Amino acid sequence: MTDKDIPKIYSIKKTPKETLEKWFRLLSVGRAIDDKAPNYLKQAIGWSYHAPYAGHDGIQLAVGQVFEKNKDHLFLYYREMLTALSAGMTAEEIILNGISKATDPSSGGRHMSNHLAKPEWNIHSVSSSTGNHTLHAVGTARAIKYYGEKAVSISGQGESSVSEGYVYEAINGADKEELPVIFVIQDNGYGISVPKKDQTAQRKVANNFTGFKNLRIIHCNGKDVFDSMNAMEEAKKYAIEESKPVIVQANCVRMHSHSNSDDHLLYRSQSERNYVEEYDPLAKFKRLLIRYKRFTEEEIQTLEEDTKKVIKAAHKAAMSAPDPDPDSILDFVVPEPYVSQKYPDGLHNAEGEKKKMITALNETLKTEFRENPDTFIWGQDMANKDKGGIFNVSKGMQHEFGAKRVFNAPIAEDFIVGTANGMSRYNEKIRVVVEGAEFADYFWPAMEQYVDTSHDYWRSNGKFSPNVTIRLASGGYIGGGMYHSQNIEGSLAAIPGVRIVYPSFADDAAGLLRTSIRSKGMTMFMEPKALYQAPQAATIVPDDFEVPFGKARIRREGADISIITYGNTTHLSLQAAEKLQEEGVSVEVLDLRSLVPMDEAAVLETVKKTNKVLIVHEDKVHGGFGGEVASFIMENAFEYLDAPVRRVGSTFTPVGFNRILEKAILPNTEKIYNAVKELVKY
Amino acid sequence: MSKTAIIYSFHTQKSKKVAEKIIDVFGKDEIDAINAEEITTETMESYDNFILSAPTWFDGELPNYWDEFVPELEDMDLKNKTFAVFGLGDQKGYPENFCDAVGILVEILEECGAKVIGKIPAEGYTFESSRAQRGDIFVGLPLDQENQARLTQKRIQTWIEQLKEEMK
Repeated sequence: MTDKDIPKIYSIKKTPKETLEKWFRLLSVGRAIDDKAPNYLKQAIGWSYHAPYAGHDGIQLAVGQVFEKNKDHLFLYYREMLTALSAGMTAEEIILNGISKATDPSSGGRHMSNHLAKPEWNIHSVSSSTGNHTLHAVGTARAIKYYGEKAVSISGQGESSVSEGYVYEAINGADKEELPVIFVIQDNGYGISVPKKDQTAQRKVANNFTGFKNLRIIHCNGKDVFDSMNAMEEAKKYAIEESKPVIVQANCVRMHSHSNSDDHLLYRSQSERNYVEEYDPLAKFKRLLIRYKRFTEEEIQTLEEDTKKVIKAAHKAAMSAPDPDPDSILDFVVPEPYVSQKYPDGLHNAEGEKKKMITALNETLKTEFRENPDTFIWGQDMANKDKGGIFNVSKGMQHEFGAKRVFNAPIAEDFIVGTANGMSRYNEKIRVVVEGAEFADYFWPAMEQYVDTSHDYWRSNGKFSPNVTIRLASGGYIGGGMYHSQNIEGSLAAIPGVRIVYPSFADDAAGLLRTSIRSKGMTMFMEPKALYQAPQAATIVPDDFEVPFGKARIRREGADISIITYGNTTHLSLQAAEKLQEEGVSVEVLDLRSLVPMDEAAVLETVKKTNKVLIVHEDKVHGGFGGEVASFIMENAFEYLDAPVRRVGSTFTPVGFNRILEKAILPNTEKIYNAVKELVKY
Repeated sequence: MSKTAIIYSFHTQKSKKVAEKIIDVFGKDEIDAINAEEITTETMESYDNFILSAPTWFDGELPNYWDEFVPELEDMDLKNKTFAVFGLGDQKGYPENFCDAVGILVEILEECGAKVIGKIPAEGYTFESSRAQRGDIFVGLPLDQENQARLTQKRIQTWIEQLKEEMK
């Protein structure tokens, strides 16, 4: 079916009067707020970011009208106030968001104005990164399809967003998986000041995707209410009935500047501005209502008077709403984790046979997937015959749980993480595990989603937590070189909103993985891949073992000096301690297990006990997590120290491929031994 | 010959100039100029032959004055009426939708039973796609003041000769 053949369900002549009235009220109220928003900034009340939607009226009304709250899923971009209104949000809610009040349903004043959301209706919280919620929309649509719901996921975005690589990843994924997603590209010709000719060669950017096999592309006039309504009705019907993605490219105009920090007079001629103003969608709709005698001038005037009253009441209510409490800033950074009743300290005295770390991880994943039917895992190399995961950690899972819960992802790290975020938006029961990248240091393309996901719980004022465990095979000692041997936790730990764990023994790996999967929120689960098969990391693993976050573990008691460590270097530290013991130096080795949150009590306790501290990790000393540990000790236990806090880690270089280079760069037993010897002299 | 009207927006610049050239060539006394922004059903009922100006707006849309008239047009019986459509386009700037509005308007007129004349061979233009093109012909007269202004006068003269022939 071509665009021309789309059923004309709505037209000026056929559409019932009450529908036209509802639409006019929405268009009129929306435009009144759109026009009024800059005044709040001028009066220093707030709304310092406003991206006016005027010129997108038709398509935004249509998107909101086809959206069914609590059933469909909607992702609005920052220029989409009318969609929010049309989807059911009130004028007061829009203004509460604009002036960042505590009762703003989108974020309680935490997120920028014009970032509208109502997570309890499935109008999801989105970031400012243009179009990155396409990945979330795809993830949500994956859940819609899995659970067999007749619903759609809708992403609103500007045409310039299509220049972003993750938008391609999202459309490719939706096409491959045949998901009911509608990507609504609102084309106003500009990305801030950049004309679309500088974005891509095709003026109709949606046509860049014509080669996708399962994707339908619909073009419509986003300035025209009826054309937009007909296009969106068709898009939704098609997406649900065929379970396939649709791009609706709506031709819009941007009547004003990009936002109040932009001045379009600097780059648009008077004649261009006149040209777009001439096609004011609201003025057109009004002309049609009168021309085709659906409303009289007087009736329109009455409706416009009503709009003034609505705005006045909404303004008054919003202005008297409470401001956010500064004491609330630490609320909703990370959700409360799963609480272990049986293993509150993450310790056990089980007996039996030792298991390797890889076995412990594999068995824990399977146990958790048996316990919770709403668990899913994907990643590159996740499942193909006997291959199960990059290092076979998830071996056998697809055979047991099926290809709908355990499956391969394209080589697109941002897509892997972004769709995990999106799928967990579907409901709170879902727990997603992903292998975030082939190796930890391939994770960087996903940093965009990592950062965005880290914001979600805080940004939504506790309304949405992405319940995702990201597993990464991390670290060196395998002669892997760059992208195969490096550690990234030091960089990751600088970003709030994520838990980071890094076990070094099989039992702790199993216990932390179980806690991660059962908890709400995002957890980075770093796996020291050199230890998967290592005999020294094998332990007895209770079948139901749980390790709470933020609980370190003393792996060796000592009296003269403490080594605080995690991951691969726990074992190197234990080896050094053994050697030092022979020389009469008693070393305590504390395995942090969790970096974020860190077990501050355990750190203080060991400092107070031995009065000397060496921090050891495989990641670089420069910018590594050890800097945080050292600072914490200096700020909280300086008076207990008899020596400076020292750190051993990698050099401030990439990790070399040749084993000689790798050895020179990474920490080893000798470097740890030497550092301890220096410190014990104090 | 029955009465002929040329309908274009009086508020336009380039389309207006071109329309005035057409009027000159057609013969001022033989044609009435009507503002497209003020047309009604009665306007359409008052003439038998029409020359319509349909410049392409944005990425291939009708100007709003035509777009808003379409619902009215769709109710009309145009069986005994004859239309010819011209339109301004930009082959280089907007090659993906060159003179789309001409094609869109002609499609609507044909659906209303109108006779459409003034179709010309699609030669001498370079573009990627146009709704005004059907195979080897254009369903109206595309004019490109941005890139081929020199050819406009000649194109108009040839087209008007053809129209007069077809209107006989």
